Order: sequence, then C-alpha cells, then structure tokens
Amino acid sequence: MTNSLLFGISTFVYFFAMVLYVAYLAFRSEGLGKAATFSLLGGVVVETAALGMRWYESYAMGIGRAPLTNMYESLAFFAWMIAVLYLVLEKKFKIRTLGAFVAPFPFLIMAYASLNPNDIQPLVPALQSNWLISHVVTCFVGYAAFAVSFVVSILYLFRVRAEKRSPKSAGSFWDFLPSSAGLDEIGYKTIAIGFPLLTIGIVTGAFWANVAWGTYWSWDPKETWSLIVWLIYAAYLHARITRGWRGKRVAILSIVGFAATIFCYLGVNLILSGLHSYGGS
Amino acid sequence: MSADEPVKTMKTDGTDWTAKIWDFLTSLKLVVFLLLMLSALSIAGTIIQQNKPLQEYYKYYQPGTVVLFNKLGLFDMYHSWWFVACLGLLAMSITACAMDRYRGIMAGMRKRNLILDEKLGKSLPNLTTIKYALPLDTVEKKMLELVGKGLSRKPVVTHAEDGGRHYFFEKGKYSRLAFFLTHLSMLIIFLGAMVGSFFGYKGYVNIFEGETVSQFETRAGQIKKLNFQVKCNTFNAEFYPSGAPMDYRSDLSILQNGKEIIRKTIRVNDPLTFEGVTFYQSSYGTQPDQVTIDIVNRDGSPKGTVTAPFGQKVDIPGVADKMATADYQEHYHLPDGSEGGRAIGLNVYPAKGGPTGLWLLVDHPEYDKQRGGDYYLRVKDLKLKKHTGLQVNKDPGEILVWLGSVMLIAGIMIAFFMSHKKLWISLRTDRKGRSELTIGGTANKNRSAFATETELMIQSLKEVS
Repeated sequence: MTNSLLFGISTFVYFFAMVLYVAYLAFRSEGLGKAATFSLLGGVVVETAALGMRWYESYAMGIGRAPLTNMYESLAFFAWMIAVLYLVLEKKFKIRTLGAFVAPFPFLIMAYASLNPNDIQPLVPALQSNWLISHVVTCFVGYAAFAVSFVVSILYLFRVRAEKRSPKSAGSFWDFLPSSAGLDEIGYKTIAIGFPLLTIGIVTGAFWANVAWGTYWSWDPKETWSLIVWLIYAAYLHARITRGWRGKRVAILSIVGFAATIFCYLGVNLILSGLHSYGGS
Repeated sequence: MSADEPVKTMKTDGTDWTAKIWDFLTSLKLVVFLLLMLSALSIAGTIIQQNKPLQEYYKYYQPGTVVLFNKLGLFDMYHSWWFVACLGLLAMSITACAMDRYRGIMAGMRKRNLILDEKLGKSLPNLTTIKYALPLDTVEKKMLELVGKGLSRKPVVTHAEDGGRHYFFEKGKYSRLAFFLTHLSMLIIFLGAMVGSFFGYKGYVNIFEGETVSQFETRAGQIKKLNFQVKCNTFNAEFYPSGAPMDYRSDLSILQNGKEIIRKTIRVNDPLTFEGVTFYQSSYGTQPDQVTIDIVNRDGSPKGTVTAPFGQKVDIPGVADKMATADYQEHYHLPDGSEGGRAIGLNVYPAKGGPTGLWLLVDHPEYDKQRGGDYYLRVKDLKLKKHTGLQVNKDPGEILVWLGSVMLIAGIMIAFFMSHKKLWISLRTDRKGRSELTIGGTANKNRSAFATETELMIQSLKEVS
C-alpha cells in the first residue's frame, strides 16, 4: 500500500538527515547544516504524506479512522512529532549542532516501528470516539517534548563537566554546544511545552475513560504510569520555579522523567500487561 | 531587591511548634518528597497486581510475604491508609502554600512604586534615558501612542513635586493568580474524588431483552433501588469479518410509573444518564431461554418430547427419572479437545441413587447415545435470550473533578505562557530645556523575552522626532 511505501521512504530520509547532522557536527560547513535541516524537513513532509495517506486509505477500506491506534502508528507519530518539535526549536534557538543527537530518534523509532505489524485494523468499540485524536495527539506532543528535553539534559551534563574542567579556554570537545546555561534553558522550555500537553492528555484520557467505561480513574498501569511521569515533571517544575534549582539536579530529574515516559509508553504495553509482571519469588 | 520580588509573608523564626509545623508544610522539600514518594508508591502498585483474590497471590509469593503485603495494604495500595495519608499531607501542604503565598501574590498585583525614582531605577536592568529637542507634551503624546500598544492603554499618571510626570504601565496582572488556579485545582479534584467515593456508587446489572429492572447490586455488595425502571428493548453485537468486535448496542427505555420517559440506544462511547445515574454498555451474554428435548429409545424410536424453561426440573416421559437443564456453553470442548459447538449441561435424577451430569451437543444430536442405557436424549430446539450487561454509576463528585481539571490546564497555560509585565516612564524637562524620558521595566517571568520587547520599545522611542 502507498502509505507503507511512504513510511519506508521517510525512514530513509530520516536516516539521511541523521548522517548529514553528524557530518555537520564534524565539518561545520554551513551548507551541510542547511542540507541536514532540509532533509529532516523533507522526512517530515514525506511522513506527513504517509500519515495522511494511511488515514485516506483506511477510508477507502471502509474503516475510516485516524492513524493513531496501534503500536506501529503511535511510533510513527512519535517519530514525526519529535522531528517537528526539534525543527521548531532549531529555528527558535539556533541550535543546529544538537541535530546530531536528536535526528537519530526519528530514524531509530521508524526503524523499530517497521518491526511491528502495520496492517490497518478496524477499531474496537471502546476506541470509536472523537476523543481519540485529542487524547493521543496531546500525549505524544508531551512525549516528544520530553524526549528532546532528555537529549538536551544529557548534553548539559557533558557540557557542564567540560566547562568545569577548563572554565575559560576553548578547545574542549563539547564547545560546539550552546553554553550550559543555554542548554539548561532549552531543556526547561521544552518541558514547559510538554507538561501542559501531558496534563491535557491525561485529562482528556480521564474524560474519555469516563464516557467509555464509567470511571475516570481506575489506577490501571497506563494511567498510573502517566501520573508518575506527571509527578516527576511536577517535582522538576517546583524545584526549578519555586527554589531556582538549576543545572545538574534538574537535568537529572528531566532524564528520570523521560525514562518514566518511555516506560509509560512502551514498558507498560510490552511488560506489564503482556507478562503479568508479578514480582514474586 | 528587585522591584518585583514578592513580599515574603508569615516569616517565622521556627522556634514555636506551630511555626515549625507551618515551615514543614510550606517547605519545598516536603512537596518534592511527596511527589516522588507518590510516584514510587504508584510504581509499586503497578508491579504488584492490585485487588486480586487473596488466594491468587499465594501462587506468586511465599505465604509469609502474602501475609505481610496484605497487612501493609499492598494489594489494595491506592486505598491503603498510608497512601491516602500521603495524599492528605499533599492536600495540607498545598493549602498551607496557597495561604503562605496569598499576601505576596496580592502584593505583587497591587500598584506599588508608581514613581520611577532613583531607588526603583537602580533595580531595573534596562533603565534608559532619552533626550529630545521636542516639547514635553509632544513627547508624552507620542510615547503614550507607542507604549500603549504593547501594555495597558491607560497608565497611572503621577505628577511629582519636582515637575516630573510619572507613568506606570502594566499587563498580565492577573496572570499572577495562575498559582491559585493550579494549586486549588488539585484540592478541587481531591474533593471531587472524595465526594464520589462517599456519595456515589458503581454497580452492575444484566438485563435480558424485553425485561425491566429497577434495582441492581453495587460493587460494595449493596442492593440499590432506583425510583425508575430500565428496560432493555433489544441488544445487538456486530462483528468485523475478522471476528473482532465492531459495535455493541443496547436499546434502552427509562420508565417511570409505567410511562416511557426516555428511549436511547447506548453504545460503548455513548452512555445514558437519568437523574444522575449513568448506564454504560459494558458486556453482554446469551442464555438459553427454553429447551425442547427428545427422549429416544435405543432403537431410534421416539419415546416422547419435553419442552421446559431453562433450569426447571421436569419428568422424563416413559421413565421414572427426572431431569433439569443446568448449564450452557457456546463453545463446548469435547474430551479430545476438539470443538463441540453449542452444548446444554443437564442433570438426570434417577428414581434411585444420585444425579448424573451430562452434556447434550445441540449440533451433534446423537452424541448422548454413547452414554449407554435404555434411552438417550437429544436437543430438538433451543431458544436463546440475550442480555446486555450495564455498568451503573452515580458520581456526584465528577463535576468537581472536571472543574478542577479545567482550572489546572488553564492555570498551567497561564503560568507558562503569560507574565506580569510592569513598565515605568518618567518625563521631565532638564536644565537645558530639553525633554528627558526615562524608561525601565520588569516582568515576573520570562525576563529575557520581556527585555527584548522593552529593547524594541526603547528603539522606537529613540526614533521619535
């Protein structure tokens, strides 16, 4: 089907973008940088077409649903969202050197997605709802923002160590990055995007659960883990805003937050519900 | 001290014990600890499966571990006293912080420092003075035009004794209230959850097609009587060619005093609410309604036929035995593991001795022949009836939960994307008769963006001629 072909092409373009970003990092030519940005943008355009095509093809099959309902589709959307968000941040903060660290995500996620079954299945009754799109989209914008913040926070830790070692002299390997204060700020800004959207995602999810199952909160693993993620970032924001925590401590919280995010997204599906994870002896 | 620093209120020296408790409740350490503690507990709750029958846990844990975990409430963790205590402590901490911050936030909203004097000027990062060869009134007019665009159109104007005019502009004053929105929203959500658990209920009811119910059993095991009746007119399940479910629909009527008040077809994402009670499509099932059984002699000649409602004990014609239908399976597994299709479980009560149970396969009528004996039984006709399974909820706290959620989202949006900006301008005539404009401003959040904004404003003010 056309959508699979387009998803395949976008994976390839993302790979190409990743290579160009790494090359830009190595050679620092403005031309390479522009080419990297354009190819990532190209990947986004092709994947947008793929998502649209998949949506359209589902109608042609008489199913008619948004392409956001199984592992394959959510991974594809996650990759798309990270690429889009990164491009916006790259433009806003002029941080093209970060591309070498962010651009692998869309490619690797798409490659992982291709291991999952990608046929278009019709929706079970519980998923037939207008809440589907708003719930999934808000959650995934949140996840993507946390992913970018995660990368920035890790780079922050390297950068700040390099700065401490040689406070003034240039020539450290990590000099290509924005200053540690800049990274700290970007990490915070992306969480400031992700946190409200995760909140909306949880609330729309609760509202939908109430309409579908008659309970807005039932402590099932997915719900609980999304709350855990929310609590970690809430702790991050309190530490940062109220007490002015900066730097290393909040960077570590951001990394922990993303680890919880990934578990909420993949771990819950793959481990908790799949294997009945009793931790017993 | 910057012009914008909130007034720290309720400063305590931490000696008196009420002050100590207050400091504890308002400390950031407590909040961060509680948030991380609740996360850790929640993780435990997803690893240890919750609310299973106790005997099931023995399969996975040592008996001693089960007893310990059960005592600690780890099997129903989210309702254990210590989990609820953590939430309670969080609620108290939020309340204390809200009270602690109240005066500071209100002070931040008040119009203090209306005059750009030397002391205030020193605290502003971008204080700039511009001199013009224009009359003061012209400068004032142009300045009001330019600055009014970005900030409040009507500044507070003060005429100082020295002849200078002072203008105070601001924008986004009420964004300071976002703190209350986000924090009180949590209290409202907690309150909603509590109202729901004290005054609401969740239950479950099966209604057969054509039948009416007026009561149901809650999860807590109580029988709830409704002051109306619910009738299931029809139930339909549709499936995709793959066998996956496509749609479950119950056509329901609400009756009061024998009159139909509402009729609605409910689906999984489309429940029916009446007088605060909501009915959700939750499951369905089929049960045999009436069974007709042939009694056949070993040689194949008929001995008789019995038709009876499911479950009723009846005489078997021509013999002294009785029988009663007792069970029904849609997919019966034969002893060799193969699929036997629809099957009726039946008990035969002989005149002497205990009953025997046997299965009659609807689609393999001669199956019972293998049992031996003088006669065998076969299903001649099977009438099924369908029921819809409805979840029944009443939650008077729900509306509070949604109110809290909306406040939370609005509060977070305002907190992240709006700030309270203040800008001061003073105009005076200097000794040489030139007009002199001094400008400076500050914001409570996102200062770098505000600095850029102010810089642009200063640029355009410099260009005034």
